[in-house]
Amino acid sequence: MVNLAQRMRKLKTRLLNVRVGTGAAIFPSAATATKEFPAITRLHLTYAQKIYGGHLGARHFWRNCLPRLKYHNPAIPISVQQTKDQEGPAALTIYFAEKISNAASLTAAQATDKLAPKPSETEKTATVDLKNLDYKDIWTSVKMITGAQEVPATAEEEKQLQEVEQLRQRSIQDRARVAGIRQAKKDQERMLQEARGEVEKLKQV
Amino acid sequence: MSSFTSLMPTGARTVLSICRPSLRQWPMAAPLFSSYQQVREASNNRQAQGKNKKEKAIKKTKKGPREFRQKDLKDMQQWALCDAIRYIRAIEVGREPTSIKYEIHIRLKTLRDGPVIRNMLRFPHSVQTESRICVICPPGSRHAKEALTAGAVLVGEKEVFDAVKDGKIEFDRCICHPDSVDAMNKAGLGRILGPRGLMPSVKTGTVVDDVASRVEMLRGGTVYRERDAVVRLPIGQLGFTPEQLRDNLRVTLDQVKKDAASLNDRINKEIHEVVLSSTNGPGFSLNGEFTSENSAEIATLSV
Repeated sequence: MVNLAQRMRKLKTRLLNVRVGTGAAIFPSAATATKEFPAITRLHLTYAQKIYGGHLGARHFWRNCLPRLKYHNPAIPISVQQTKDQEGPAALTIYFAEKISNAASLTAAQATDKLAPKPSETEKTATVDLKNLDYKDIWTSVKMITGAQEVPATAEEEKQLQEVEQLRQRSIQDRARVAGIRQAKKDQERMLQEARGEVEKLKQV
Repeated sequence: MSSFTSLMPTGARTVLSICRPSLRQWPMAAPLFSSYQQVREASNNRQAQGKNKKEKAIKKTKKGPREFRQKDLKDMQQWALCDAIRYIRAIEVGREPTSIKYEIHIRLKTLRDGPVIRNMLRFPHSVQTESRICVICPPGSRHAKEALTAGAVLVGEKEVFDAVKDGKIEFDRCICHPDSVDAMNKAGLGRILGPRGLMPSVKTGTVVDDVASRVEMLRGGTVYRERDAVVRLPIGQLGFTPEQLRDNLRVTLDQVKKDAASLNDRINKEIHEVVLSSTNGPGFSLNGEFTSENSAEIATLSV
């Protein structure tokens, strides 16, 4: 077992990244839905396996934002489908209860995703095209369409973030220092090797 | 001369001692070198002897710890089951809920060279999606009928061998009846089944008389064993509810405790730490609680 401090630091950093960051937001649920932004019932993401053809942002969105969304909205099912069709869609389908939001009807009508599961009778879907978009841009458009409320980091989390950043800076310094030590050791060894070579030469004379 | 050698780095000096025989053939330098070398060698030997004695002494007194070292868990943050589930579900987002598994790692307080726990258990909520089982036994016998009723997919002798030789292995487990062992060995399936870990043998407990009950067990059973003081096994699919996971976890811990108690009177095994993780997720040390005050609603943790 790795030593506990190391193990805990790694785990806590990872969990902190699940709680705060791009995409840490709460979707309107049945209780908090307004006329403008109806409740979100589920999400579906489709993208292709390789990154060319503009599928990179979609994958990053899955890696970075979806865990945070899932953490803050545990009740919303999120499915992801990875296809082998690079020409195919990179799209996020948002399922609204009853009707789609105004923002969605303005922006997201054009894209289609045949692989997304069929909406039930009470659900309406809006599909966002994600091709050639950065994951942060994807998140801003998703936030606009759904009316998600961002969860700000608490004071404690802010402090933890700072600590993580400090440790990161520290490790950059330490890495340089240790690299210096290793290089010095290597140089020393090389020097010895060369000295030995000279002795060999002497012997042969 | 001595000043010359002392200026040289230690590595080069050892090189000198290595090339001594060839230097001896060099008449001019020979006496100088050899006299110096004799002194060096003698001192070398003395040093070496001293070292050997020391090493022996150390070896005698130094014996590794009898028990596996345990970390003190007071610095360890521990989670309630539902909180851990919430994080794991977030990290495994978008993955197939049936193929991703929750795993449990049970750290034991135990001797390094003591007996190990090794057993099989049945969960109240089956983890595996129905494993397909093949039974090798004389076709038409009572055992064959029993195996079929117990839920084996493939039963028989010759048809099984032919299917395997054709490369059609459509089962995950293979059991053999003692009556058919000779036929199986003659058919030479070891080369095909062996690397997949499917070859029945008495050692692994897959050559059994009571085929039917074994099939029953294998269908819902999970094999586990202790390695380096940890028992690791999958205990649920990602789609399970927290209650289902709790039931499976309880059964597992009870079973492991029972195994530990039944080993030997003198052997004392205790559970030190229980860690929940998943196929791609990190490990969460559990504190034994089901929920904490700020965990999410239980109903939301299974969709």
